[in-house]
Amino acid sequence: MEQMKHDIENRIALYGLVSRLMLIEVNDAFLDTIESDEAMLALFPNYQHWKKRKELGRKELIDQYYNVDFTNLFLMHLVPYESFYTREDQMIESGGDNPVIALYNELDFRVELDRARVVSADHIGVELEFMYMLCTAQKRALEAGDKEGICELFEVQRAFLKEHLLEWAPMFLINAKRESRTPLYHDGAELTLEFLLSDFEYITQMLSDYCTKEMENV
Amino acid sequence: MTKSMNSTTDKNFIESRRSFLKGTAYSVAGATLATGVFKTVADTPASAETKFTPTPSTLAFYPPLEEWDSFTELDGNDWKRGGTSRNGVQSEENPDGIKATEYMLVPTACSNCEASCGLTAWVDLSTYKAGGQLAVRKYMGNPLHAGSRGRNCAKGYATQSQMYDPDRIPFPLKRAPGSKRGEGKWIRTTWDEAMAEIGKKMHDTLKKGDEISKKSIMYHVGRPNENGFGHRVPHSLGVDGYDSHTNICSAGARQGTIQWTNDDRNSPDWANAKLIFLQSSHAADAGHYFQQAAGRIADARKKGAKLVVMDPRLSNSAGMADLWVPVWPGTETALYLYLANRILNEKGINGEDLVNHEFVRNWVNWDELMNNREYLALLVEKGYIKSVPAGNSYEDFIEMAKEMYSPYTLDFVAEECRIEKRIVEKLYDMFIDAGARVATYIWRAGPIGHKGGWMIARSAFLPFVLRGAMAGDKGGVGLHHWHVISVNGKGDKATEAGDAPGKVDVWNELAWPPEYPLSSYEMSHILPHLLLDDEWRAKWNSKGLNVPEKLAVWIPRMYNPVWINPDGFRWIEALKREDKIEMSFNLSPTWSETNWFCDYILPTGLAGERHDQHSEATEPKRWLSFRNPALRVALEKMGWKPKDPTRATLEAHIKAGLGEIWEEVEFWANIMVHHVDPDGSLGIRKHWASKEDPSRAVTIAEWYQAAFDHLPNLRAAAKAAYPDSKYPNYEMMRDRGTWLEEANIYKPQERPLKKEGDAYISHGHRYEAHEVEKTEFGTLVVTDHHTGEKQAIGIELDGKVMEGFHTRSKKLEFFSSYFAEWKWPEYAVPIYPTTKEDREKMTHVVTQVHHDFMTKENEFALNTIFRLPYNIHTRSVNSKHLMEISQNHNPIWINTEDAKRLNIKRGDAIKVTITDTVSGLESGYFIAMAVPTEATMPGVLANSHHAGRWKLKNAVEIPGFEHKLGVMGLGAPLYEMTMDGKVGTLKPKEGLDQGMQARRDTWQFKEYNKDLDNIWWDGLSGSWQNAVAASHPDPVAGNHAWHQKVSIEPAGKEDQIGDIWVNYENNMKVYQAWRDKLTRPLAKGDTLRRPKHIKRPAVPLSHKAYSVEITD
Repeated sequence: MEQMKHDIENRIALYGLVSRLMLIEVNDAFLDTIESDEAMLALFPNYQHWKKRKELGRKELIDQYYNVDFTNLFLMHLVPYESFYTREDQMIESGGDNPVIALYNELDFRVELDRARVVSADHIGVELEFMYMLCTAQKRALEAGDKEGICELFEVQRAFLKEHLLEWAPMFLINAKRESRTPLYHDGAELTLEFLLSDFEYITQMLSDYCTKEMENV
Repeated sequence: MTKSMNSTTDKNFIESRRSFLKGTAYSVAGATLATGVFKTVADTPASAETKFTPTPSTLAFYPPLEEWDSFTELDGNDWKRGGTSRNGVQSEENPDGIKATEYMLVPTACSNCEASCGLTAWVDLSTYKAGGQLAVRKYMGNPLHAGSRGRNCAKGYATQSQMYDPDRIPFPLKRAPGSKRGEGKWIRTTWDEAMAEIGKKMHDTLKKGDEISKKSIMYHVGRPNENGFGHRVPHSLGVDGYDSHTNICSAGARQGTIQWTNDDRNSPDWANAKLIFLQSSHAADAGHYFQQAAGRIADARKKGAKLVVMDPRLSNSAGMADLWVPVWPGTETALYLYLANRILNEKGINGEDLVNHEFVRNWVNWDELMNNREYLALLVEKGYIKSVPAGNSYEDFIEMAKEMYSPYTLDFVAEECRIEKRIVEKLYDMFIDAGARVATYIWRAGPIGHKGGWMIARSAFLPFVLRGAMAGDKGGVGLHHWHVISVNGKGDKATEAGDAPGKVDVWNELAWPPEYPLSSYEMSHILPHLLLDDEWRAKWNSKGLNVPEKLAVWIPRMYNPVWINPDGFRWIEALKREDKIEMSFNLSPTWSETNWFCDYILPTGLAGERHDQHSEATEPKRWLSFRNPALRVALEKMGWKPKDPTRATLEAHIKAGLGEIWEEVEFWANIMVHHVDPDGSLGIRKHWASKEDPSRAVTIAEWYQAAFDHLPNLRAAAKAAYPDSKYPNYEMMRDRGTWLEEANIYKPQERPLKKEGDAYISHGHRYEAHEVEKTEFGTLVVTDHHTGEKQAIGIELDGKVMEGFHTRSKKLEFFSSYFAEWKWPEYAVPIYPTTKEDREKMTHVVTQVHHDFMTKENEFALNTIFRLPYNIHTRSVNSKHLMEISQNHNPIWINTEDAKRLNIKRGDAIKVTITDTVSGLESGYFIAMAVPTEATMPGVLANSHHAGRWKLKNAVEIPGFEHKLGVMGLGAPLYEMTMDGKVGTLKPKEGLDQGMQARRDTWQFKEYNKDLDNIWWDGLSGSWQNAVAASHPDPVAGNHAWHQKVSIEPAGKEDQIGDIWVNYENNMKVYQAWRDKLTRPLAKGDTLRRPKHIKRPAVPLSHKAYSVEITD
């Protein structure tokens, strides 16, 4: 149980981290958080040792490097929306016919697009935050001792990764890594990709190991 | 795999990727990083039943035509709120539901650029039925439109913000009695008063009936966006009084095209091309025909086509092209002739000839040239070839052409065009690889920028001809008249006269001065110069001409020549002279710099407020748009009836609260019938009075029923769709807004010439076979019994009689015989000088900004004529959206190396001084902001002439009207002007943001304009450079050659961006120098004003009008 709690908390932290990174520009609070945690900083190995971090002030770094890179990767030259990758006509589907939005609706989740500042709910940052929400729900299920709920959430997570995120995010992330001009987004793109792949393996394993055991074994 | 994430010495991230969850506890803070964009909504009401689809299945969704009269749509905020599935549709029981609005979709067409993309105006019926005002809420595309396919650019959607412009002119205005032009004192008048006063002036002028009276009314039309109605206005008045804007626009390209084809533009098949070869940013960035052309180019590229953009500036198109070809502006001719040289003199990879002999042999008039031994001798004399060819066969022609173009080598072109050789070679390879499927549209840029710009167009087509790409076939280049429909002026059958007015008998020297017999279009850009040039007038009057010394009525129509033409102070000078222009009125939806100096401003409608038939050659089809006044159509469909059916558009706009906004079709019909010729004594009235009821003007339904009747396919479809209607053609077009008359128009020159019994039918005329002669070159000609002139009607090739091209030879004319006959023999074939000495001799085809003229390190060629994609020359100042996105986008582009050399940094104010290279005179300067960039070639500055609007008052008071009327508040800052007859200056005084906020109470359409509080721009980033530029009338094509030689230096302490200082006395001398040093005017012995076979646009003239006798 403890191990699972530990795992879930780590997953929540990692999904929280990568979704935030992919959704909006970084700020002081965000950078403070990753820099004050050695384990987290180690996820950004190039960033950790980047000379410019020592040479320039935080404001300069944000204004002249990180925000420029963010704009390039998420607003201008790459398209961080699932429907762009999955629709034949490469159009961004922002309305109710988007299967991702249909799924959110089905599970009673609503995306506040104005807060997210995206044009459609299938943005990579939103989808990652959706995984974060599912993990958070799973933590509550764990705390309530609801194995059925935990396993149902594993099923949902697995399906969402398989049918959505892993269907397209690797292509976007590989491009983002290649196109990035700062170690922050370079490492961030690689981290996100690797984490998604490993999380899929983890969930698959949990479904076969944990969820097939009898309830009393929990 | 199990390596601890706590290890900070971890060097290999990949190795550790499986260990995300093991042995590490990430900071709790990590979990708080999530943005929190999800909201669980357990309290949301259960999904409501609804007929609405939350989102259409494709982005191309449009309501089906049968629902256009009533289509209910969810509010635009729907998507943010989760749709009806969460909130249901708004109703009394469900007030929080999504709002649904009933619309009527009225089709119309965009009128912002020339492309005429389809629009639908979404008229809000819900608000109207609930007691509110009838209004258009948005403009969307028209999916039925064959050209635009439901798509629009930013300018199309901006029609909405133009319609509800806070500074829209709400009623007709008249210069206050007792005030002078330009004082800015205005009173309110009515359409009836204005028509009575203007109509009387026109009547009194025409009543004299003499030659001068028929040269004293000038209809001066900005971009028409309709096909032929405007021409009919002066035509029906019996005056030679049409001035177009074309000589500041596209007349250079038209000249070169006319020489080849006797059609004035080409028409490419972008979608099927293998190579898209653009000269300038036209087509894909802006202008002819932006959204439609760009879409077809994108289609071609999806299929693998390559894109080449030749432009000294890295435009948006060049930026995404496969090859950017930056050439020194004005030297493009050299590059085209280089391509011709290689096509003629080299072989393909399999050893085959690169010339498409089948096409060239059949369809180029080489035979006419080779049989003109006298002309061949001239080519020898000029040094183009060494000796006259011994034979006159096709093979002899090819051998001669090989020799003639051999001097245009790679070394020469690299030096002349200042271009890297590798780029030129790559261009050649791409050109050859595409075979005959190369599409281009030669239009602005080079041909309108330079002295001899027409030769760029002339030469550009040569490599296309040689490769067979000018055959009008798939993926190649066709011609304009094949792909266009012009019936807007052909409603004659609905009039009392029942037929078109007769030809006009006079020739107006103010539009077609005797120095410019071959001018492509009217010399409108020098109208004020001609009016004020007493010496010039006296000279020609002494030679037997009868040049008018003034205009009785000058009528700009949606035109702003003061601002957009060169030498604006000269325009103002002329407009202020009431002895030179006795009356003036502008039919204009907006304020403008020109209106400020007129006597009346009569507010006419925008894209969704008027009727026009409009068609453009955007692809190998013949489609048309029909513009509708949306509010009028909506009211009429809901049962409203106007008091006077001939003024329904005006009445509808007043009823809907838009203002006293009218349209030209109803205006002209009414003023002609009731004021210009009320008793019919001038013979004008019958051309505008209704056949059904001659006591009144013709109605819209009557006019368009007759006009559209000229289109057989439209007529048949309308009859079938509206079998019980009295006006089926009109009603079908009112309801659909567009029509495709014919598609897949390829190689029409090969169509068999129609024959009925023993007669040939050409262009609607019947010619008895026994009257038709065949020339030695196979051309079929008929002789006019009255004038003895020969007219070509077809051509026989390999025993088949075909329609042929539109020229006298019915072939493409490599050799332009009329051009040789009309005093320009050395340029009757595509040619360009290759040495400095020859450039001086052949100055007529050498740009005024050639690098020969740049002798100091701060001297540059200034490229002025690229469009900003979201601006419309002078027509965007009424759109808050377009103004916002175009702010600060027009600095002076300067190459980084040049900037470094001159120590100019980004944002620096620089003084740009213009000097003419023909006269050597200085025109003055403007102050602009420099931006160093790699995106313009060294030695060439770029600064679009589309910024720098100005006004002299923020608002005007109208006696008796509660609010001041704002003047161009969204796009023109306040300036101070001085002018003393010799020097004019303009200095910025206040940003437009200040002006707008200071008079918030004057804004109209307040609900729509509540966001004007957000205006952040001051509009002060541009300069009125057009006023500094002198008119440069090209000696052949007559167009203004826009580019300028400039020198630059840092601005002084007192200078600010937007300042201009103009010596317009010098500018007058510059125009005179271009006229007197460069032209070859009519002279004693000339009998015609112009070759009759080159159609003079607009007003048809009689042989008498063409005839001339010049005395000593």
